[in-house]
Amino acid sequence: MLGNRPVKKSLKEYARGITGGLLFSFPLLYTMEVWWAGFSATPLQLLLLVVVTYLLLLGYNRYAGMRPGVSWRSVMIDSVEEMGIGLVLSYAVLLVLNRIQIADMALNEIMGKTIIEAMAVSIGVSIGTAQLGSDGQEEEEREHNEELEEEKKPGHIGMAVLAFCGALLIGGNVAPTEEVVMLAVEATPVHVLLMAVASLLLSVVVVYFSDFKGTTGKKPGDLWFWLTFDTCVSYLVALMASAFVLWFFGRFDNVSFWTAFSQTIVLGVLSSLGASAGRLLIK
Amino acid sequence: MDTHHQKDKQKDNNHDEKNWLEWLVFGISLLMLLAIFGYLGYQVKTYNPSDPEVMVEARHDPSAESPNRYQVTVMNKGGTTAEEVIAEFTLFSNGKEKETSELQIAFAPKDSKREGWVIFSVQPTASDSVVARVKSFKKP
Repeated sequence: MLGNRPVKKSLKEYARGITGGLLFSFPLLYTMEVWWAGFSATPLQLLLLVVVTYLLLLGYNRYAGMRPGVSWRSVMIDSVEEMGIGLVLSYAVLLVLNRIQIADMALNEIMGKTIIEAMAVSIGVSIGTAQLGSDGQEEEEREHNEELEEEKKPGHIGMAVLAFCGALLIGGNVAPTEEVVMLAVEATPVHVLLMAVASLLLSVVVVYFSDFKGTTGKKPGDLWFWLTFDTCVSYLVALMASAFVLWFFGRFDNVSFWTAFSQTIVLGVLSSLGASAGRLLIK
Repeated sequence: MDTHHQKDKQKDNNHDEKNWLEWLVFGISLLMLLAIFGYLGYQVKTYNPSDPEVMVEARHDPSAESPNRYQVTVMNKGGTTAEEVIAEFTLFSNGKEKETSELQIAFAPKDSKREGWVIFSVQPTASDSVVARVKSFKKP
């Protein structure tokens, strides 16, 4: 299977991936709560995180990437590569930042930190590879293939996957910080309700003005249905993503249902924007 | 239409092809991932969420500026991370309690070492001894 894809082209692609990886994950690499999670997370949580990230990468590479119609086998290989690049980058950055001291730290602390940061980096690598420019030849190829563009338009599952990625990308940067807990604890029910309404409104606006440009020909009834449907899916996916990240960073340990719920809503403001607007940016 | 399809097919194949560099990156990545899965799997199997077990040691480490300085090592031999570790050091001189000092460490992850120093203000004497104990810590 040794193809004759020029090495220069691959290098260019890796450079894009590395740029994207760092670009999107530097906020997390510089957040202390994430380093702490490196030694607080249980092995099972870490394992789950790696699996979830891999599934996300599969979904993202399948539905967004710049290679529409690509085979699942290729998507799986690419996702593994992206995780590998993420691991190396995360280890290198943490080492440079002196967050990893090989002599004094136990292996599980080093591994925990590296793995958690690497997952964020690998999503960035994936997005970077797909989004940060592409060489002229590929552009040309793309223009020739409008049919492929058509095929690339994600269906419902693809839409949900992209929304999840967008929500994680935007919400994930804030989720590990103490500020979310503080906001949630100090918010009264009215504030929480306002936040939920604000997130929904934001989603509606974003979805209406961007995603539906091409649907003018459709009947109005149809439009309203899709608008509602799209907004609901976006928001639900965003809440799911928020809850997952919060749970991972131990924000749901020993708290009442209300506190957990309001934390999810607080983070949901960001991740719903990620799910609606972020999805459009990274698709 | 048919030619179009053929072109698509061909394009797919092109994208599926990988050169040696990509295979190398893939191979290394796969190895790393498998190693991580192996490691985490082993950890999950042997994971024992026991309480933190924090220990502290102090040894005399004088410097020109502070002659009565002690180097402190905080170790956690327990199964989970300890947060806000406070260690207390009492200086005994000729059998009498002379001075106490405190050191606070934000996190003591399991099996990891953290270092610090405590400095007493009195002049050191030959019969000095320091008793170190962990005063408190909490679960993160």
